[in-house]
Amino acid sequence: MSKAAEQSHTAGGSVLDQVGENIIHHVSNSSLDHPLIQLPHIWGIDLSVSKHVLMLWIVAVLVACSVIIPIRKYLQQDKPQPKGWMNVIEAVVKFIRDSIVQPNVGSKHVDTWAPIILTFFFFILFANGVGLLPIFDILGAFNRFILDIHAPPPGVEDHNFINSLLHGGATVTGNFNVTAGLATITFFAIMVAGSRTHGFINHWKNLAPPGLAWPVYIILIPIEIIGMFVKPFALTMRLAANMTGGHIAILAILSFMAIFADMFHSTVTGISVALFSIPMATAISGLEIIVVLVQAYVFTLLSAVFIGMAINVHH
Amino acid sequence: MENLHLFGVGLGLGLIVIGAGLGIGRLAAAAAEGIARQPEASDKITGAVNLPLFLLEGVAILGEVFALLIVLMK
Repeated sequence: MSKAAEQSHTAGGSVLDQVGENIIHHVSNSSLDHPLIQLPHIWGIDLSVSKHVLMLWIVAVLVACSVIIPIRKYLQQDKPQPKGWMNVIEAVVKFIRDSIVQPNVGSKHVDTWAPIILTFFFFILFANGVGLLPIFDILGAFNRFILDIHAPPPGVEDHNFINSLLHGGATVTGNFNVTAGLATITFFAIMVAGSRTHGFINHWKNLAPPGLAWPVYIILIPIEIIGMFVKPFALTMRLAANMTGGHIAILAILSFMAIFADMFHSTVTGISVALFSIPMATAISGLEIIVVLVQAYVFTLLSAVFIGMAINVHH
Repeated sequence: MENLHLFGVGLGLGLIVIGAGLGIGRLAAAAAEGIARQPEASDKITGAVNLPLFLLEGVAILGEVFALLIVLMK
């Protein structure tokens, strides 16, 4: 990790003071005051490209090239028979359609709701996975050691584009604004699902099932309305916190080397801590791969469950 | 005395881990017993355990987020 380049940005202080700031800097978005590409404000909204916006575009292009375009080419064939990569995509799509969408939504509506659930799954999977790849750190190392461009001293603004790419984290779904956007889609999808199956007013009447004693309704309806907002909120926080938390854990363990070397003022301590710290960081990165898959699956599953609950109200 | 909030955060995180561990442990025990009684239902039991498992994990992670917020926002 290009800690040297980043530590020169925080003026002075021992390693212990800088570590916390470094870690947060490495998982959050790039600074909104110094965006990657400065774009004009439209109607008061700043359209400049920050690191996470750039990563959103990269993930979108990646999903389009790996999933969307091969599927379209495959469907245009005469008698399609899946081979190789298409086989993998078909297995994944079949798994999601048959074990996530169909049990929750019912066989009548599978074709209506399978596309959005599949989009959620592939986008979140790719976005989570790209966050694990240290592309920009390798680019930064290339910049520093091969092209020999150093980070400027603190206080001076950095004009090099590749150096400015280093600020901020690469995990898009770690930003709770991105996951809030995805959860908003689920929020409206639930309302659309209920309105299409039962009619607009009946969807709201289904919040309070008939046939209960009337005092229950006084408690039930506020709880249901709060639940309507809490469910997407939990979706956003679950995905964002899982992604950020994993990266913070890996970075913190890797920072042990610097912390111990600074505490004992000797490089030998730092190197011997590396014997413990690097295998543990590798193990947690392995765990992160599992978390990446699981979190994509969970977001998809819960969205399907909520949509299914709006369609079949009988629980 | 000015770092008392860190003490609270540490305590809180420990409690979160205890809660999540107990809850998920009970889920796993019930699932294992169910599969032991009826090995044919193993797929359905796993499917039924999946959802509450991740809801519980989500609650634990939410708690972790708020703990981190307390540490960072002082």
